[in-house]
Amino acid sequence: MCVDVPRLQRLERCLQYPSFERAVFLFTTPHEPHFTQCISRDQETFRCWWSPGSFHNLSSPGALRVFYLKKDNCFKLHLECFFDMNHTSVWIPYCMQLRSQDNVTYFNEGDCFTVENIVRPDPPVSLNWTLLNISPSWLSYDIMVNWDPPPSADVGAGWMRVEYEIQYRERNKTNWETLEMQQHTQQTIYGLSVGKEYEVKIRCRMLAFTKFGQFSDSIFVQVPEIPSIESTVQLTLALVFGTVGIFVLVLLIVLSQQHRLMMVLLPPVPAPKIKGIDPELLKKGKLDELNFILSGGGVGGLSTCARDFYQDEPWVEFIEVDPEDADASNKEDNQDSDTQRLLGLLQPTNHHMNVGGSSANSFPNGAWHTSSYNSHLSNQDTLMLMATLLPGQPEDDKACFDVVERDPTKGRDKGPVIQAQSGRPQTWVNTDFYAQVSNVMPSGGVVLSPGQQLKIESAPANEEELQNKAKDPKEGEDAEEKTQSEQQFQLLVVDPEGSGYAAESSGRQINTPPGSPTPGEGYQTIHPQPAEIKPAATAENNQSSYILPDSLQTQVFAPVADYTVVHGLDNQHSVLLDPPPQQSPPPCRPQHPLKALPAMPVGYVTPELLGNFSP
Amino acid sequence: LRQELLNALRLTSVGAASICTNSQAGCHVITLANLFDRVIQHSAKIQSFTNYLHSEFEQYFLPGKNQIGRVSRNCHTSTILTPNGKENAQSMAREELTEVILKLLLAWRDPLWQFHQSMAHHHDFNNFSSNKALEMSDMVHELRKGVEKVSEKMQKLGIISNSIRRLASPETSVQNDSEQHLMKDYDLLYCFRRDSNKVQNYLMILKCRIVPEYGC
Repeated sequence: MCVDVPRLQRLERCLQYPSFERAVFLFTTPHEPHFTQCISRDQETFRCWWSPGSFHNLSSPGALRVFYLKKDNCFKLHLECFFDMNHTSVWIPYCMQLRSQDNVTYFNEGDCFTVENIVRPDPPVSLNWTLLNISPSWLSYDIMVNWDPPPSADVGAGWMRVEYEIQYRERNKTNWETLEMQQHTQQTIYGLSVGKEYEVKIRCRMLAFTKFGQFSDSIFVQVPEIPSIESTVQLTLALVFGTVGIFVLVLLIVLSQQHRLMMVLLPPVPAPKIKGIDPELLKKGKLDELNFILSGGGVGGLSTCARDFYQDEPWVEFIEVDPEDADASNKEDNQDSDTQRLLGLLQPTNHHMNVGGSSANSFPNGAWHTSSYNSHLSNQDTLMLMATLLPGQPEDDKACFDVVERDPTKGRDKGPVIQAQSGRPQTWVNTDFYAQVSNVMPSGGVVLSPGQQLKIESAPANEEELQNKAKDPKEGEDAEEKTQSEQQFQLLVVDPEGSGYAAESSGRQINTPPGSPTPGEGYQTIHPQPAEIKPAATAENNQSSYILPDSLQTQVFAPVADYTVVHGLDNQHSVLLDPPPQQSPPPCRPQHPLKALPAMPVGYVTPELLGNFSP
Repeated sequence: LRQELLNALRLTSVGAASICTNSQAGCHVITLANLFDRVIQHSAKIQSFTNYLHSEFEQYFLPGKNQIGRVSRNCHTSTILTPNGKENAQSMAREELTEVILKLLLAWRDPLWQFHQSMAHHHDFNNFSSNKALEMSDMVHELRKGVEKVSEKMQKLGIISNSIRRLASPETSVQNDSEQHLMKDYDLLYCFRRDSNKVQNYLMILKCRIVPEYGC
């Protein structure tokens, strides 16, 4: 039937026919009018196409008639004849003939057929797809394709049983993938790739027959990639792992450097402030003043021993004395109260030395402020001042000794609570700070009542005596000081400037060089520099005439005092007027100097100050 | 394939319906729709075999020449009146349609047996084809039995009347034309192919008219 050579489409269609029809093609002459194709869509009707061949004079409509069973049974169209249901019978062979108007019959044996053998169903309709699932890796997915049977094929009545064939391919590929034929109106396509676009089409044919219908229109299937999810997951994972790793690293660092971190985060407690010293001085930048103060301020001040003490340890202990209590309770009996205080016997708390800056402010404003040095000099202050004086005196040795004794017993955090009582009684602290002013000289000097005869030590020559006195400090010192206090006007002023000491108010006139303590006549000077008190017989700045003659320097008089200084309390709490024998004084300088510090009122020392303390 | 068909047909032919008529417990009752499905499946298989054999026969032994016109007049079942279209088949009564089916199947019992005999002696086909040809007779026999079971079921259900005659022998007889056994075989295949298609279509129409649940 397919003999139309020039038309390649029909040739291609012809090649789909079974073998016998193809064979027919080979033997058909292309010149005669002939039928080209007969197709039924629903097995109830069919139509045939024919061509006049080379007989162009027969191409006009109506020129040729189609005869079947010698009847003109079909509805004529141009080169086409349509057989309706009334003229269509299945399972009956049809032999088509072309007959011209002049009764020339063109018949071909190969043009016989039965209707069920020429059925080509229409393509299925309503082709669509739904997503079944996607692989967890989001790389492949499966879809379910649905369609409806062709409406022309009466599948519902069972007149036609069709089977479907799906073909699909990637968008830019040329080969089609064919799925297995089946009779259901849905089918699953497995293993499609995400991101690629697929083209899907379908066709059908009668069950147990070979002729396929036309393909349906293609549908396109695509599942877009979602890289953000994957990358988001990756980013999240990376962040989580990174954070965990960093945390572990930090933890390891912290654990390994624990001690250092503790030092950085929780530094050791700084040295305490010096009570009585203006905190302003303690700030950086004013170390010179502070240094001067700490160095004695002109009133003996720090001795080399003290300086050594400072060098070794960064913190300093200091004495805290409560002036209010002193004032309140000892206004009447200043002497005793002061002395007692100094001794630390009655009110030991006052003499406790506090280490640490926490209690710096607990001490009432009083003698410890620099202003007090200059402004007012009360007896109490003098007592304090003398208390600030560092050992150069034998008492200090004792103090050192005592401090050394005490230190191990008490924790460092608290600082050795050192009672000055032990050292004090033996130091010059027990010296009376009070003196009666007996007369006022015209020159402005003040003459103290000669209540006592103080020992007057010569500067260099009496070192031995000083040592001896250090060993037997209380008596000697006290005696000396007592005499001095009795005989002379004691005016002890700590000069913060370090140039010795300036007499207070009227005592200004009394200026002694730093290195030369005046004799006990008028006053006793305490030099910051000399390790020893040098009751110089001659004062260099002998403005006053109160300086005793040299004769007094070497004189050690027995104390004839108006009042007696209590040196201490013994075990039975009885008052000791004589200093107990002193044991071997501890070496101040070489050993553990800071332990002697408690005896010396040392204020806040910064590391810079330490350098200043070096001799 | 054959085993499936045999198993399916045994269920229909062993008289399962008679066993379960008493509605005994645990008895699996086959529904009419199920019976129809099995029968139609069997028929479809027969037709596919027939088509294959016919095309093979035509390809190897009779190339080039269209034999349709000649052969179609020589089928021995041409005398059996069969509806030639959908309307005709649908307008025909169910009993008549069932009867036609049974007639066709019965008419082919003997010719297929002869065909079976000839195939056994002639090893012209390949093994597959010869095996299929040998099975054709059995398959048609099983199909006829199945259709009879369906008819009985329908009559029991009251769908059709009991006017169907039981056919013991075929109405037509095969001409013993031995000009060319090959031509005879070819004609036989061609005729049988046509008739098997008729049977299938008639069964489908019957099913979709009576029990249109599945596949209609």
